[in-house]
Amino acid sequence: MRAAQPTAAPFLLFLLLLLSLSSARFARADEEPAALFAQATQALREGRAGDAIASFESLADRGVVDPVASYDRGLAYATRVRIGAEVPGDLGRAAHGFEEARDLARDPGLGDDASRALVVVRSEVARRRMRAGQPVEVDPGRSLGRTVAGLLAEDTWAGLAVAASALLALSLFARWLAAVPRVRVACAVAAAVAAPVLAISVAMTLAARHDRVGLREAVVVTAAARPTDERGIAVSGGTPLPEGARVEIIEARGASSRVRFGTIEALVPASAVRDLAR
Amino acid sequence: LPILAGVALALASSVASAQQSVQLQAQTDVDTVGVGDIVHLELTAQSGDGMPTDPQPGATPGFAVRPPNTSPSQTHIMMNSARMDRFGLTVDWAMQAQRVGVFSVGPPSVVVGGVRHAARALTVRVVPAGQAPQRSQPQPNPLPFPQVPGFSPFDPWRGLFPGVDPGGNDRGGGGVAVTTDPKLALDAPRGSFYFLHAAVDSPSAVVGQQVTFSVYEYLDEAAGTSIEVDGTDVRDPTAAEFVKHSLLRDDQEATMAGYASVGGRLWKVNLVRRWALFPIHAGDLTIGPMSVTLVRPRNTSGSKRATDALPVHVTEPPLAGRPPGYGLGDVGHFALGVQVTPRDLEEGGAVGVHVELSGSGNVPASLAPPARTGVEWLAPEVHEQLGNVGHDVFGGKRTFDYVVRVHRAGAVDLGEMTLPFWDPDPKRYSVARANLGMVQVKPSAAAPAASGNVEELLPGLPAIRDALEGAPPSHPHADDRPLFWLLGVAAWPAAFGLAVVGRTSGRRLAQAWRVRRVSAATELKDRVSAASAACKGADARACDAAIARALEAATVAHAGVNVRGAMGDEVARRLESAGVTGNAAARVAELLRECEAARFAPDTVDVVSARERWVRAQGAIRQLEKR
Repeated sequence: MRAAQPTAAPFLLFLLLLLSLSSARFARADEEPAALFAQATQALREGRAGDAIASFESLADRGVVDPVASYDRGLAYATRVRIGAEVPGDLGRAAHGFEEARDLARDPGLGDDASRALVVVRSEVARRRMRAGQPVEVDPGRSLGRTVAGLLAEDTWAGLAVAASALLALSLFARWLAAVPRVRVACAVAAAVAAPVLAISVAMTLAARHDRVGLREAVVVTAAARPTDERGIAVSGGTPLPEGARVEIIEARGASSRVRFGTIEALVPASAVRDLAR
Repeated sequence: LPILAGVALALASSVASAQQSVQLQAQTDVDTVGVGDIVHLELTAQSGDGMPTDPQPGATPGFAVRPPNTSPSQTHIMMNSARMDRFGLTVDWAMQAQRVGVFSVGPPSVVVGGVRHAARALTVRVVPAGQAPQRSQPQPNPLPFPQVPGFSPFDPWRGLFPGVDPGGNDRGGGGVAVTTDPKLALDAPRGSFYFLHAAVDSPSAVVGQQVTFSVYEYLDEAAGTSIEVDGTDVRDPTAAEFVKHSLLRDDQEATMAGYASVGGRLWKVNLVRRWALFPIHAGDLTIGPMSVTLVRPRNTSGSKRATDALPVHVTEPPLAGRPPGYGLGDVGHFALGVQVTPRDLEEGGAVGVHVELSGSGNVPASLAPPARTGVEWLAPEVHEQLGNVGHDVFGGKRTFDYVVRVHRAGAVDLGEMTLPFWDPDPKRYSVARANLGMVQVKPSAAAPAASGNVEELLPGLPAIRDALEGAPPSHPHADDRPLFWLLGVAAWPAAFGLAVVGRTSGRRLAQAWRVRRVSAATELKDRVSAASAACKGADARACDAAIARALEAATVAHAGVNVRGAMGDEVARRLESAGVTGNAAARVAELLRECEAARFAPDTVDVVSARERWVRAQGAIRQLEKR
């Protein structure tokens, strides 16, 4: 027994070392995004916008999807513009960060801040376009259907559809079976209300689901995204899409993307737009 | 000074008999380079005993070494029926200087016949980026056919056999010398007399990595006829998804690449295009074909010769280990050098920052300056010297001259210029860095007043947030399931609909059943069944009664006339008035009369007669039905 102890001790030490090394490695991997974020916000507070942008972009490259990271990234780009070190496309990238934050935010305060920052950035874009004699519309807004669908959460619409369906069926049954005229009238009124509510809630549930599953949106991140033809050559007379504009990606094909901006559909270089994380 | 400044030359010492047949020559193209610059170490080995193999560069402290370019060659000389073989190997290592210092490189070596032979070590001095002396332009080689692979001015065979040209053009004097390059060999010719062949150095790359694309023309040496291509109908390859730089000069004619043996014939091979292509996005990209039209020989006039389209699989560099600030497409070997002047200025004044970005690969066209509050970087003036930096590697340098305004007083740290890039040889990320250092800014009374007049950009931005919120939770949605739509939404109205439909259908069914129960057709069917059953029995009276009832039911069902109780000719009359033919009406009346007579006859009626009447009655019913 005593002879076995010296041989077991190095083995146990080796095992412990291995365990501590592996746990340290996993811990480092877990902490990396948090450390990068801290590094980025520190740089942003100190006015080192370039360093902050590099760290925030690195976070995004690592697949970190977080409304605060997106919001601060937008702020970093906006700060670079503010301190006079603007790189073309910074306003668009700032708008992208704020749009993403607004979409992802669960904290209403963050959503409000992101919306306010978007207004500031898009106002600057509009001011520059006005000076260049270009149309100043930067945000055509969403379609009526999409706006209505966005009023409630998808699950809420779905629940409303179930409730309206049940109410409609029950009121019709009651009206059918009831003999008392007052009850029949009440049931008819309930059915008349439930039917359109059911139709609208089903349509909105489907629209919200379609947006969740199939909709790809992006933001223009170049100073002006000129529409191109199939060969990638800029179309003469084509109105450039404004920087920071939110567009819907209809189709992505290699180096080009077909996008919709308001009523305009155009083919633009894929590098001119940046997808919004969901 | 020699043509190539600082060229070091080492010849292997003859320390053993085996080495007497092996000749080694090692040299570098320059002896002084800047950090980030490329220096080429070339080793040429000649042997009569066998092909030199396993080339090694030896020690390379202070340099990053790229995979070598090797050019094997074989020379077979027939002289007066005696065959002599000569094997050559030229190896080129591109080495990128990593740090300042004086370094001993090598000795490079090869293996011949199982024995490793080494040349002499060489010395290279590395100075800070941008401070290396200008490279002298290579002088035209006075010797003919410098493009023949494996050709060496130190080849002793040249002097040994006067009149024999290793390039293969001189075939006089009774000697035939042909050097074929195995790298140019193909499995079969792509056309007669002349064809084109395209190749890439690698079928896969990352976004921004150089893919060297070459097009060779192959001319049949044994054709014995002149070959001419229509110069007005040369279609260059398309490479829309790549950034393209030619590695040959614009005014450069096709250069001879060597000779190749293809399909058992000797072909002269010229290099007509060599491009450095940098993929601009990931995916399976295609380099289009190049085509030409032949004019001569006459029998092939007008025929096309084209290369194949070449696919290149392009991916993005890995996410793991990607440094902050990395821009997709920044691939190569780069170094940064900076100069800041002056270091002392007044608040609101400006300094000049000269940044030199050098190296090989897709040299970035822009840099992200270290943006800081109070430091304004104006758009830089950019100059570039880009091209073939040797051995088909694209690169060079770009300089960025910034004017930087400093709007705050004190010791201001300008920060650090950085360029993260993906190094494709070691397959890892690196970061080129250059520290800009501090500048001393004196306060100025005029500066704050001036800055006060400047309109603030992006006023009213909200504050920074310090705590991550976390990714939005992903939860399953009820409406993704078909059951939700079937049971949750559709089931309620469907249940009501089913109830309504069920009740209505029940009512209709009951009504139909009732109607069916009292219809003339149903009664006729019943009567006919009853008559058939009665006729199978022995009671002739019952049989006749059943036949009479069946006939009466048939007149109701088919003619709509009830003849029950009618006597004599009344039956026929009623039927005829309902549209029944006289023949059929008379037949029915006759049968009814016979049945009446048989039923009430005092004598016993024969059942066989009754059955015969039933047969006739069935015929009469069918006749009524066909009416």
